[in-house]
Amino acid sequence: MGAVTYPNERVVEFIEKNMVPIQVLFDSQPLSTNFNIKWTPTVITLDEKGKEHHRTIGFLSPEEFIPSLMLGVAKCHFDLEKFNEAISGMEKILKNYPKSDAAPEAVYLRGVALYKNTHSAEPLKEAYKKLQAEYPSSEWARRASPYRLL
Amino acid sequence: MENKIKWETEIKAALSRAQEEKKLILLDFYNPN
Repeated sequence: MGAVTYPNERVVEFIEKNMVPIQVLFDSQPLSTNFNIKWTPTVITLDEKGKEHHRTIGFLSPEEFIPSLMLGVAKCHFDLEKFNEAISGMEKILKNYPKSDAAPEAVYLRGVALYKNTHSAEPLKEAYKKLQAEYPSSEWARRASPYRLL
Repeated sequence: MENKIKWETEIKAALSRAQEEKKLILLDFYNPN
């Protein structure tokens, strides 16, 4: 990460604009114990109160890291029930990084956030269809499979 | 833009900045070896 991803201009720009970055050694206490760190790199998205919303383990290229961070931001909005912001964030991932590993989860969570907003099952069914059509081998396509019955 | 992330090293400072700037925190655990 330190050699390839963190020096990347677009990564620097995204982090500068959207996040407060903190870097600590893997055995730094009490953080290492509190967050149960067993491997590096581990990158965690926290809210301003220090609560975890998203985590990745292992190297991510700049092309994967930015959408992963975007997913972390959107998941934080989702967890805090700010569904409009979450939907907007998921849609930005799907528009700008549709081939990223974050995209299938963004499709799934967008469907759930839309359901939370509207209480209509249609967005869940649409999410299932999109996952089957565009990301059929993803775990999120399998997780959405019950929605085909809606 | 300089290609360098301005990392915080203390969680207290990061939390304080996050509240002030209304941003989320990216917490990176790394191994220098």
